[in-house]
Amino acid sequence: MFRRPIKEINAEFIAEEKYLDSIQKTVRESCVAASMSRKDIASVLLAIEEGATNVIRHAYLYEKGIIRLRVVIYPKLVVFSLIDYGRSFQPEGSGTLDLERLVESGRKGGLGFYMIQKIMDSVEYISTAGFNELRMIKHISEPSPVGRTFLRRLFTLRVKFSIWTFFIMLIIIGVSIYYFDYRTSEQMYKHKHETVRALAETIADQAAGYFINRRSDVEFDELIVSYRRANPELQLVVLTDGDGIIRAHSDDILNIRKPYVAPDQVSDSIIGVPQTFRSEHRVWSYLVTPIMTGERLLGNVHVTYSTAGIYLQLTESRKKIFFLTVILVLFGILGIYLLSNYFVSPILNITRRVRRFTSGDLEAELPLTGAEEFFEISRAFNQMMTRLSQDRRNIVEREKMAKEIEVASQIQQTLLPRQLPSLPHLEIEAFYRAASMIGGDLYNVFRIGDHRYCLAVADVSGKGVPASMMMSILRTVIQIQASEQVSAKKVLSKVNDYLVDNMPRGMFITVFLVIYNARSHKINFVSAGHNPMLFFRADKQEIMKFNPKGMPLGIPSTNNVSFDDSLEEIALTLRQDDLFFLFTDGVTEARDRDNNQYGLDRLTNFLQNYLLEKSKVEVSELSKAIVSELDDFTGFLKTADDVTFILARCDLSEKQPSQEANTGVEVKHMQDEHPADSPDRT
Amino acid sequence: MDNISISLQEGSRKEVSEVRVDGVIDTLTAGELEEVLDSLLKRDRFNIVVDLAGVDYISSAGWGIFISHIKEVRANGGDIKLANMISNVYEIYELLEFDNVLTAYPSLDEARDAFEGQLPPGEKKKRRS
Repeated sequence: MFRRPIKEINAEFIAEEKYLDSIQKTVRESCVAASMSRKDIASVLLAIEEGATNVIRHAYLYEKGIIRLRVVIYPKLVVFSLIDYGRSFQPEGSGTLDLERLVESGRKGGLGFYMIQKIMDSVEYISTAGFNELRMIKHISEPSPVGRTFLRRLFTLRVKFSIWTFFIMLIIIGVSIYYFDYRTSEQMYKHKHETVRALAETIADQAAGYFINRRSDVEFDELIVSYRRANPELQLVVLTDGDGIIRAHSDDILNIRKPYVAPDQVSDSIIGVPQTFRSEHRVWSYLVTPIMTGERLLGNVHVTYSTAGIYLQLTESRKKIFFLTVILVLFGILGIYLLSNYFVSPILNITRRVRRFTSGDLEAELPLTGAEEFFEISRAFNQMMTRLSQDRRNIVEREKMAKEIEVASQIQQTLLPRQLPSLPHLEIEAFYRAASMIGGDLYNVFRIGDHRYCLAVADVSGKGVPASMMMSILRTVIQIQASEQVSAKKVLSKVNDYLVDNMPRGMFITVFLVIYNARSHKINFVSAGHNPMLFFRADKQEIMKFNPKGMPLGIPSTNNVSFDDSLEEIALTLRQDDLFFLFTDGVTEARDRDNNQYGLDRLTNFLQNYLLEKSKVEVSELSKAIVSELDDFTGFLKTADDVTFILARCDLSEKQPSQEANTGVEVKHMQDEHPADSPDRT
Repeated sequence: MDNISISLQEGSRKEVSEVRVDGVIDTLTAGELEEVLDSLLKRDRFNIVVDLAGVDYISSAGWGIFISHIKEVRANGGDIKLANMISNVYEIYELLEFDNVLTAYPSLDEARDAFEGQLPPGEKKKRRS
């Protein structure tokens, strides 16, 4: 029905309201482990609290008990079970409870269960002998925000990688272009100014000669006009004398002999440093160079020139660089995208293989090729898959085994008598409780011949399938031999003869066998290494222990002692109200939370006190008292071993059932529910 | 351990009683709230606003108080209006379909106004999502 569980959580809590918090805590942790949404967790916590409250109230009626919580997490759902060993209660209003009716009635009962049904996707209440289970299933809702998955699909690793490298490239290119552009333009402007300065100095040198030789105005004019023509970047050249009077003007001859006025925004007193000014929406440079002869200042050369040519040149080259960059970046992105394919394709390859593996192809191995990193991933993946398929095989094996155990358990259940025969003058009661799915205990009470009966309690060493097989053999062999042999000792001796040859090595069986003679009220008993019999003499009001000597069945005889020699048979005659108690070590070896054994002394004392107190003993009540005494001691912990006992009380009064009445006593077999994978079984 | 504190205000507006609850309403604490509610009903105060701003958990015992009293309250022309539920509690309220039988308001004022405006029972205002 479901896929394999991912995780299983088992916990036990004392059924009291103050422990609800700890239950909630465990449930919350499980929900988080199942990666449920916050909203689901909140509602599940509520449902579990309602369930647990119901158990405390209705199953245990506020009396002490245990709530077992089992959470099994599957890939898409979680199964929560609350198990109790109390009273079975039909949840109120189970089935279809509707809110309107609840409001109409003005009652509160059943609201808890209504809430559980609303919150959980499926709710089941299973009640069997011994335990009740409230099983609730919650589906884990898939987190599926569409927008996010679309974005995710768009932004694959490759696209992200390309975008990032694109931006990084852009920044690097931008910064370097800016830097080189700045450097180039700086140098070009510097170069321009230097050229003009050199030119102005040449003019100044020549002009100095002209001043000394007192050349005419025309000659001065020719000098600067010729320079102006030869150098088109020179816009205006003006010569002034030491008093600032214009001697030559390249634009207008009429300015001669007038005082020189520098253009706005610049000063003619800053000498030898280029200055800039704006005029008619253009930027001009202006340089004043002194005309010297030795130390004497003769005048100044005022040069106005344009740097627009450089700007045009720069713009042109910038355009070219821009186009080149765009083309480079485009090719770069393409290259990066293609390159990322190279890196991503092994990942896609691994993904495909993993998909194949999930869809059941366990042999989907990854080829060990490619770069070192992918080689490692592939190897790790292959190892993981090998492990997984191994585990899967193991699980299949284990399931097969569990099935076998189940079958064996069913066999074993049929071995125990469903009904005890009713014995004349002997009131009997038997109890059996399995520790795990298969126990190694056996008991039987049956009639042999007219007035003889056999009572036997046995414990097979070991558990599981072999033990239960041995039990079925033992049961048959005892039954056959008991009807053929006269004495108890002879019966066991014959049984041993048979078993010794057929028993697996290392296995043995302990048996306490009683033969009761209904006519003489005599019991003959033998013990093959079994726990002693407790015998209560009613007239003496005391408990005696009978532990007849004997080796366990199935142990090959050594040279010194044979089984038959070791066996001791004891005979007793029963009197009114005498009582005997046969049991297995599951009773005396029951342990409490601190690992203390119950022990024979405690058992003897308990029986002694009980029997001294009661004037009229009912074996069925005594049996219940013993069980509850044991449960009190263990605190409802699972017993490690099966618990089996037979109680028999002699009643010689006349109102006994006749020998023919064989309707007998119903026997209750308790089977503790232990999940197949509870920790103490593995 | 979980605790609960309840304060009752029967003042300003005529006939509307406000019950402010803080803490957790579960099996252990529900009794206190029920006592307060019973005392109101005994004094014929049927217009009740329950301020749940400070409540972060309500179990069946808590919801049961409202569910089991609502019929009596409405039969007397009143209502129990829940206000200020935190989102965790409101989600449960919706999930369990209690919105079919109990009215909830995002704020105390809206709950009070609902009594003033004589809104028919059952009509509920949309909560901010």
